[in-house]
Amino acid sequence: MITLEKVCFGYGKNETLRDVNLHIGKGDFCAIIGANGAGKSTLTRLMRGLLRPTSGRVLIDGQDIAAARPSTLAAKIGYLFQNPDRQLCRNTVREELLFTLQYAGIPADRRDALCDAALERFSLDGDGDTACMSRGERQRTALASALAAEPPLLLLDEPTTGLDYSECTAIMERIAEMNERGVTVVMVCHDMEIVLDFAKTCVVVADGQVLGEGTPADIFYNQPLLKRASLIPPQLIELASRFGGEVGRPTHAEDFAAIIREKRSQK
Amino acid sequence: MISINQLSFQYEGGVKPALVDITLEIPDGDFIGIIGRSGAGKSTLTYALNGIVPHYHKGDFYGSVTVDGMDTVETTPERLAELVGSVLQDTDAQMITSTVIDELQYGLISYGIDDIDGRVDEALAALGIADLREREINSLSGGQRQKVAIASILALKPKIFILDEPTSELDPASSRMVFELLRTLNQTGVTVIVVEQKIMQLCEFCDRLIVLDGGAVAFDGGVREVLTHSEELEAIGVHVPRIVTLAKTIGSDKLPLNLDEAEAMLREVLA
Amino acid sequence: MKGFLEYIPGDSILHRLDPRTKLLMPLILCLACFAADSILLLFVILLFDVALGYLGGIGKQTLRTLSKLARIMLFLFVLQILFIQRGETLIPLIAGLRITDEGLRTAALVALRLIAATMPLATLLSLTKLDELADSLVVRCHVPYKYAYGVTAAIRFIPEFSRQMSEIIEAQTARGVEFDTKNPFRRIAMVIPLCVPLLISSVRKIDGTAMAAELRGFNLRGRHNIRCTSRFGLSDGVGILVCLALAVAGVLL
Repeated sequence: MITLEKVCFGYGKNETLRDVNLHIGKGDFCAIIGANGAGKSTLTRLMRGLLRPTSGRVLIDGQDIAAARPSTLAAKIGYLFQNPDRQLCRNTVREELLFTLQYAGIPADRRDALCDAALERFSLDGDGDTACMSRGERQRTALASALAAEPPLLLLDEPTTGLDYSECTAIMERIAEMNERGVTVVMVCHDMEIVLDFAKTCVVVADGQVLGEGTPADIFYNQPLLKRASLIPPQLIELASRFGGEVGRPTHAEDFAAIIREKRSQK
Repeated sequence: MISINQLSFQYEGGVKPALVDITLEIPDGDFIGIIGRSGAGKSTLTYALNGIVPHYHKGDFYGSVTVDGMDTVETTPERLAELVGSVLQDTDAQMITSTVIDELQYGLISYGIDDIDGRVDEALAALGIADLREREINSLSGGQRQKVAIASILALKPKIFILDEPTSELDPASSRMVFELLRTLNQTGVTVIVVEQKIMQLCEFCDRLIVLDGGAVAFDGGVREVLTHSEELEAIGVHVPRIVTLAKTIGSDKLPLNLDEAEAMLREVLA
Repeated sequence: MKGFLEYIPGDSILHRLDPRTKLLMPLILCLACFAADSILLLFVILLFDVALGYLGGIGKQTLRTLSKLARIMLFLFVLQILFIQRGETLIPLIAGLRITDEGLRTAALVALRLIAATMPLATLLSLTKLDELADSLVVRCHVPYKYAYGVTAAIRFIPEFSRQMSEIIEAQTARGVEFDTKNPFRRIAMVIPLCVPLLISSVRKIDGTAMAAELRGFNLRGRHNIRCTSRFGLSDGVGILVCLALAVAGVLL
């Protein structure tokens, strides 16, 4: 789906990415994790073509995005920013979605149907005033808008910052649903539990370089790697790691509890 | 010592009250976590303590709030601020000058505090941002701004330290560092009140948890005691830490609040 | 517009000038430009503006500002030439329009004047720490703190808003809106709807800043507690004298 070939960004002291090679396959749900300032947001911006690499190439479906037309990219990639305030610029939810559809180059006669479908999928009121909504609703609107044109790739830049637990779950469950329908998702996220719960693969970034790739469980049980990237694993994994291999590699309370019960019954 | 007595507040133009009949006693030296879903009144509650409500945000104010015996309605926010330091939620907006050093000096100059340079250095060092000292605010990332915002209040050495989601833009390692700093402050007698979505951190560091729902206090008590109500908490949008869920799932009668306790619990179970 | 009016740190002689001087110099130069009726003198002032940029170590930015202003003024220049039809014909144009000597002279004067008058303010403000300017206005010029802070905050918000605007434009670009169109009218039409998100975040920002300032003793600040180390020195005197000389020349020539 998306490939980065020897991508560098920035010069000298301001070099934010150095020789990044990365491939994210179709249907993947990939989380990019790293400490503040590691270069995560730069990566998603490069993938959307908002930034141009200093050297190297970004390919989507084998095509260099530097050559692609903006509307073609808009139809292919949905992008959700951390702050919905930057994204929403129309008065009502419906207008907002139609605006996206228009610029994604969707023919006028198909826009209404896509808009209605998106409104329903994200349980939104089309006539809702975007300025009067809570942060969580605004973020949900921004997500619906990013996905309205049904792009095959969704890029998320810290989509859950500033949301409470239930808003956060609501947004993430919708995204997971879209992933199941075949949308490839790339997400920058600070919350390791969200990464663990939703991502299929993980890319660890530190100081502008990719340090490692793997499933969330592989990454979170790789303590030396996390240490180098100044990351802290989710609580339960940190706990299980303290027991070495003794309790296996559980990720959630349920499988952890099952392992404990089994151990206890063996004794 | 803060006492809130039957406080209700509705913003001017608001459709429903933001705070409903809140009564709380906060003794000196407490380390309090405030949690609840968005719109539950967490920020408004902090505003009621630093005088933003009702002095800056006007509205219908019933009941009373006193901080060290001073009634917040009769005391101006800048006077209250000598006691109560507040780190606000919007990281961008609370930058009131152009450079990091000016940002830290601002309050110190307003309140005529001696040893400005010493206080600034100390606060920068506490947050590990001494290298940002001469930087322009505009050139900082969200996470860096958040640390500057905390440092600028820390430099004032408030007796009561209120922070509204101070780690929202920080990575896990930096969040932990901020909470460890708060713990150190608390050990020197500072009252710390922190609004936070990350319940894991609150459980590990706070002594007391206040859960708000619809502007009212839903739960208030020791962290362990509040956590025993995990189903009720879930219903009002608060999720308990996963080590607590684990403890409940394996039928342990203990409620671990941090990794050390969880490890001890498991070792006991496995022994 | 990125970085416009934003403070650029440095240690040049201009950085070290008293903030008041850096406010006074552009004002005098501005007067000089409007008094001047000589193209040569306006060129001299313009050269001085550019020299100021190089003296402050921001030569490149100054040239960039100059070229941007020149592009805007070119439009005005052409308009003026077409508008002023008095004087002797230099080049006849279609439909009875002509370029006259007087038209050319007036158009050049207007364009040069506006460029030469606005440049020094942009240059010197980006070499001035706004907080120092506010402090010096309060302590040395007895301006009430509220107003001094208000003025500097307004200037500070310009780069802040332009940063927000570029974030908003980025977010819109991400959904396929193409802003890099050559047609200026289309560009304006595209930017107008973006004023809604800009307005929302600006109001939020101003409200939050006011609240944060109040909680850090904004109302307690005044001449008695603000520190101001800046003083007029020799270089301040020289700077102001040069500007005054240009202003006198402007009145006389």
